[in-house]
Amino acid sequence: MIAARRGNLLTLALLAPSLLSAILLLVIPILIVIAFSFAEQDTYGGAKFGFTLASYQELFQAIYLPIFLNSLQLAAVSTLVCLLVGYPIAYFIALRAGRYAGLLLALLLIPFWIDFIVRMSAWMVLLGRNGTMNSALVGLGFIEQPVRMIGTYPAVLVGMLYAFLPTTVLPIHAALNGLDKRLLEAADDLGATPLQSFWRVTFPLSLPGVMAAILFVFVPAMGVYAIPVLLGGGKSIILGNLIVQLFLDFRNMPLGAAVSVVLLAISSVIIVGYMRVLRSVEEARA
Amino acid sequence: MKKFIGLYVPAATLIGYVFLFAPLVVLVVYAFNAGRTTVVWEGFSLAWFAEALGDRGLRAGLKVSVIVAVAAAALATAIGTSAALAVVKRPFAGKNLFSTLMIAPLVLPEIVLAVGLLVATVWTGIPLGYGTLIAGHVLVSIPFSFLIVRAAASGLDPRLDEAAADLGANGKQAFLRVTLPLLAPAILSAFLLCAVISFDNFVISTFVSGVGTTPLPIQIYATLKTGLTPKINALGAMLIAVNVLVIMVVMGRYLRTMRKPS
Repeated sequence: MIAARRGNLLTLALLAPSLLSAILLLVIPILIVIAFSFAEQDTYGGAKFGFTLASYQELFQAIYLPIFLNSLQLAAVSTLVCLLVGYPIAYFIALRAGRYAGLLLALLLIPFWIDFIVRMSAWMVLLGRNGTMNSALVGLGFIEQPVRMIGTYPAVLVGMLYAFLPTTVLPIHAALNGLDKRLLEAADDLGATPLQSFWRVTFPLSLPGVMAAILFVFVPAMGVYAIPVLLGGGKSIILGNLIVQLFLDFRNMPLGAAVSVVLLAISSVIIVGYMRVLRSVEEARA
Repeated sequence: MKKFIGLYVPAATLIGYVFLFAPLVVLVVYAFNAGRTTVVWEGFSLAWFAEALGDRGLRAGLKVSVIVAVAAAALATAIGTSAALAVVKRPFAGKNLFSTLMIAPLVLPEIVLAVGLLVATVWTGIPLGYGTLIAGHVLVSIPFSFLIVRAAASGLDPRLDEAAADLGANGKQAFLRVTLPLLAPAILSAFLLCAVISFDNFVISTFVSGVGTTPLPIQIYATLKTGLTPKINALGAMLIAVNVLVIMVVMGRYLRTMRKPS
């Protein structure tokens, strides 16, 4: 009895720091954000508590709609580009690389751990008007004048791909790596062409990894803001920039909080949806 | 068609790796360029390193980043380790929910977490500074320390605890003399990775750094917006060197454990 109580105390002591920090740094702040989104803006740039839907009404006006669409579009296109580039890499590491698989995975992680802002400045060095890429293209005679690269949509996509490529490859690799190779041999024996066995065996079995990759790219991509500012010149406003501007430049906290709540809601729907689909896939396989 | 597919996969992989490493190589190479631009090679020079190290703003940022990274990594590692031990070693209700809560900061958009922290400081009147930076970095680092130590702890043989008990060790002794030494490498990896995450953090820092406590990435960002000079390349080259060193320490351990015959 005493031993059981001491055991409970120990469990509680082990759980206390993490529970406390999760409640203080995650749960309560998010609740305050929700409360702020219903608050009124006071004249000093603060917020007056109350219950008003003014921020949400303002948010759902026509001028903010393009911002939401821009963000969704950027997240969707970035996810698609990451999958198109990341899938073959994951496939190669899992099924073709043999004993070099460990090395390739380790190399993939190096850029992942390098300072984000350093990686972005590397691209600014490459893509600038007087940058390495422009001078190389002019020098080789492909173009006559340096062209503008920074500040264009493709530059933003390059930055997004650079930031999220490792995140895309890792879950897909994990799914493909667990694939029973005998299934591919069986497909081959049954007369399937390589393309057929890919579409009907490999790809369906890698779907949980693809779904995880979509989750890990799409959700953060919706809230991204440094990449479009640095590589896109900050011209097309997306949710991330909007939140930063509302909080740090315009001091309109209620509206900023409302944008954050909407972003959180969209992300939560995607995460819950992902978990549902994953569970049904697992149940179907069991 | 078959030939095309056979070539497509390795070609895409090759292009992918060139894409990942070319910008870093260019960045580092031009850090040693004597000229002002990152285009024409005008000879080898270490002048930009001296300039980067002499920049007062960047040096102040470096100091802030190091203090915050060490403090945040220590806290996040302690918190993540205790949470991981609870999940692996202790029975309690709501374990799945608890694990989800621990990993949540990894999945939710970071900007929403940053907004939450900023609004919480406004609401409570807590001033922005080292405290808020450390708290924010702890929040985004906990998932990593939790996942790393949980993986290591669940790989431990539960019979080790039984053996320690059979040999007369009490729970505390078994923990201090069996479990903890076996987990030490994982805890060290967790600490290093949390320190890197904190040092690199950009989004949380944008929101919760105060006047006089601007961390290095935000200082670099301000410099980038005003214009590129090879000073940034030199600074980037030094940061890459530190990051690669940390990765080698952490991954070297994993590669060794992978090679060990089990």
